[in-house]
Amino acid sequence: MAEKKPKSRLTAISESPVWKSIFRTGIPVTRRQRMMGILNNVFLHLHPVRLPKHAVKLKYTWCMGGLSFFLFLVLTISGILLMFYYRPTVEYAYTDIMDLSEQVPLGIMRELHRWGAHAMVIAVWLHMFRVFMTGSYKPPREFNWVVGVLLMFLTLFLSFTGYLLPWDQLAIWAITVGSNMARATPFLGHEGPGASLLAIGDINLVTMSSDVRFALLGGRFVGEGALLRFYVLHCIGLPFIIMIFMAVHFWRVRKDGGISGPV
Amino acid sequence: MSEKPIPRAALNTPQDELSPAESVKRKGFISWLVVGWVAFASATGTFLAMIVRFLFPNVLFEPPQSFKIGFPDDFQIGVVDERFKALRGIWVIRDSEGIYVLSTVCTHLGCTPNWLRTEGKFKCPCHGSGFRKSGINFEGPAPRPLERYRIVLAENGQIIVDKSIKFQQEKGQWSHPEAFLKV
Amino acid sequence: MLDWLKSVVDFISTPSISLTLILLMFPFVFPPTAWFETWHRRLGLHNLWTNRGGLVMFSVITLIFVWGFTDVNFSKILGKPDNVPIMILIYSVFFFLWLAMKSAYENDAHIAAGEPVQEYYPPEDKVLVWPDLVYIELIALILMMVFLLVWSIGLPAPLEEPANPSLSPNPAKAPWYFLGLQEMLVYFDPWLAGVVFPSLIIVGLMAIPYLDSDRKGSGYYSFAGRRTAVFVFLFGWLVLWVFLIVVGTFFRGPNWNFFGPFEEWSVTKVVPLININLSEYVWVKLLRVGLPANPLVRESVGIIMLVLYFGLTPVMLARGKLRPLLDKLGSIRYSLIIFLALAMVLLPIKMYLRWTLNLHYIISIPEAFFNI
Ligand code: HEM
Ligand code: FES
Repeated sequence: MAEKKPKSRLTAISESPVWKSIFRTGIPVTRRQRMMGILNNVFLHLHPVRLPKHAVKLKYTWCMGGLSFFLFLVLTISGILLMFYYRPTVEYAYTDIMDLSEQVPLGIMRELHRWGAHAMVIAVWLHMFRVFMTGSYKPPREFNWVVGVLLMFLTLFLSFTGYLLPWDQLAIWAITVGSNMARATPFLGHEGPGASLLAIGDINLVTMSSDVRFALLGGRFVGEGALLRFYVLHCIGLPFIIMIFMAVHFWRVRKDGGISGPV
Repeated sequence: MSEKPIPRAALNTPQDELSPAESVKRKGFISWLVVGWVAFASATGTFLAMIVRFLFPNVLFEPPQSFKIGFPDDFQIGVVDERFKALRGIWVIRDSEGIYVLSTVCTHLGCTPNWLRTEGKFKCPCHGSGFRKSGINFEGPAPRPLERYRIVLAENGQIIVDKSIKFQQEKGQWSHPEAFLKV
Repeated sequence: MLDWLKSVVDFISTPSISLTLILLMFPFVFPPTAWFETWHRRLGLHNLWTNRGGLVMFSVITLIFVWGFTDVNFSKILGKPDNVPIMILIYSVFFFLWLAMKSAYENDAHIAAGEPVQEYYPPEDKVLVWPDLVYIELIALILMMVFLLVWSIGLPAPLEEPANPSLSPNPAKAPWYFLGLQEMLVYFDPWLAGVVFPSLIIVGLMAIPYLDSDRKGSGYYSFAGRRTAVFVFLFGWLVLWVFLIVVGTFFRGPNWNFFGPFEEWSVTKVVPLININLSEYVWVKLLRVGLPANPLVRESVGIIMLVLYFGLTPVMLARGKLRPLLDKLGSIRYSLIIFLALAMVLLPIKMYLRWTLNLHYIISIPEAFFNI
């Protein structure tokens, strides 16, 4: 540095030891800084440093996978906040939900969570549609498509378990009807074909209190047990599983050669 | 450190053929391997079974399954009694010969049908199944009739209903003496 | 306003009519074979996937909604807060369908002319992720957040009466994304509609990359080179999933009766629903001998029909039109494809049997909970 130009405040900050201890690179101006910025950041490192031009075009990916992930993050944050006020018991669930709009000023956290969940379902479907239409499930990306199908299924199941929590008429009847289908699972549900074959002598092994539906509801009908089980699945179990599969999904996008494109 | 020694196993030279003594060792090792894997698999299996069993509690905090509903004379002939619908999930129906108890759970997907007195049928609001007063299904997607519960008289003459024992028409169980209380 | 048109729309949206129309139109809109392709061009349907076509579709949908909302019944159903996602779904499905097909047709033209597709750039022509991608992501994310905030502020989340186990609401519906499945429940028993079909959907989706052996068409939008695959996927997704969701949400009212979009949801609408089993048709109505006591004998006709449907059709098809497919894929993959396709087609088949013959079950063994 031969001539001394007065540095801007921003440059000064970006060259301070504190900034450098966090970000290593300065403000990404040069090509090198921009590359290092991606490489040095654990989150941005999800991305490669450089991409073929078509891969950053909105017209190609619609950014739908990214939006699905973003919506998942919005749901995680708003969901954690909702948990501060919601108690999953038959006695309190409904009134807690009612109070949510009055607990705090600007009470739209419930709306964000509910409409965000609907939006995520739609975004995931559209993402799958674009992956199909660009033929991106073809080798070498077959397995990532399989992971994607699991992600979609988990998204729907997350949404379904959340549907019960307000404990209103809409909720328990949707879950009653939905979970009663499990009752009809072949062999594993007490009203499924083949269930009556699983018996020792006269005693049926698969009954109302020993079939898959019971395992899901923790009871013979949608009651206290079901509310607690769905709550735990919705807030901890399923998010945990879906995050693992998302990690695999993102990792595989990179390992399968990045976003698909014409050869 | 100059050169790393190349592990012997990586070189596939004739000298690497194992002597008989050594190959016995390998065999022994393989059988240990089998033992190890079996142990691992059974440990995992036991643990999974434990998890599955964990889903089924020993004690259920649900309302009692067996209860008294009053004396036979409390019920009028030809009327579908809806007093126990909300709390117990049953309809009590008396005809000219006796009394029977119907479950209020639709055999389709478990909604609660409504008794339509004028039309003389139970109509399920969820997918439109219809059941006659006897419980027999005649319209909509319900695959079979409503279930009946065990009904007997207590010593003091009160009626006891036991929901843990049910009778299904399609299995020919409605003719069972406890499916119907003669009065 | 325009009452006669309303009754026409009500009539057309009856599932039996609307599904028939869609089934007839579908192969011409998304031609699966060269023959349909010729007609597709002749009817000018390829113009749907141009800017003009997109504009026309957009205006038609919007016009229907705007006109519809002048009607009390229409706006009562569509204006429900929980139905807003369906409106968003309809718009976004049409928009992205149009976008994908437009790109595909442009690329098809490039390929036909021997040019590279529009996604193609020379390999050395790359861009840096910072800033070219991260900024796009940031903007997409902000727009999404704005959209969500507006939606959340404008529309309070619904909350109905507290749960009451002894009082089912009429109609009681699953969450909207499962209404396609619930629509199947009208035609099939829960073990099929609620368990077997969903499992087949998941397995079938997962199997797509392993069943579609065509290596071409990866990494760019295209239609001409993989028209059959796209046709099958779109049929499953658009007709058997999205369309059934729309029917289940908008057209299923009290007692699960069907209501047109301009019809009032009246609890007292009575539709006779007496359904008859195939066995009854055969033994009682045709042979006039009464139902045999042994369930297997009683249901033999239905069992034979289904065995033939799943067993014989693949063989016949392999002898005829689908010989090349069998040669290309081998027998295992071929059988799997045909099985999944036949299972998928079973749904519309059963629907038509119900609408025309009031058929309840093809096989009915309630003793073992085995009804198809
Ligand atoms: C929770 C749901 C999901 C999330 C968060 C997610 C996220 C992503 C992201 C961020 C990408 C990068 C490219 C893009 O944005 O399009 C991607 C690619 C991909 N996704 Fe997903 N996805 C999800 C569900 C699915 C589903 C349902 C499928 C298919 C059944 C799928 C299959 C794929 C495939 C094959 C790729 C690679 C595409 C290519 O290379 O062009 N994903 N996903
Ligand atoms: S639950 Fe009664 S008809 Fe479906």
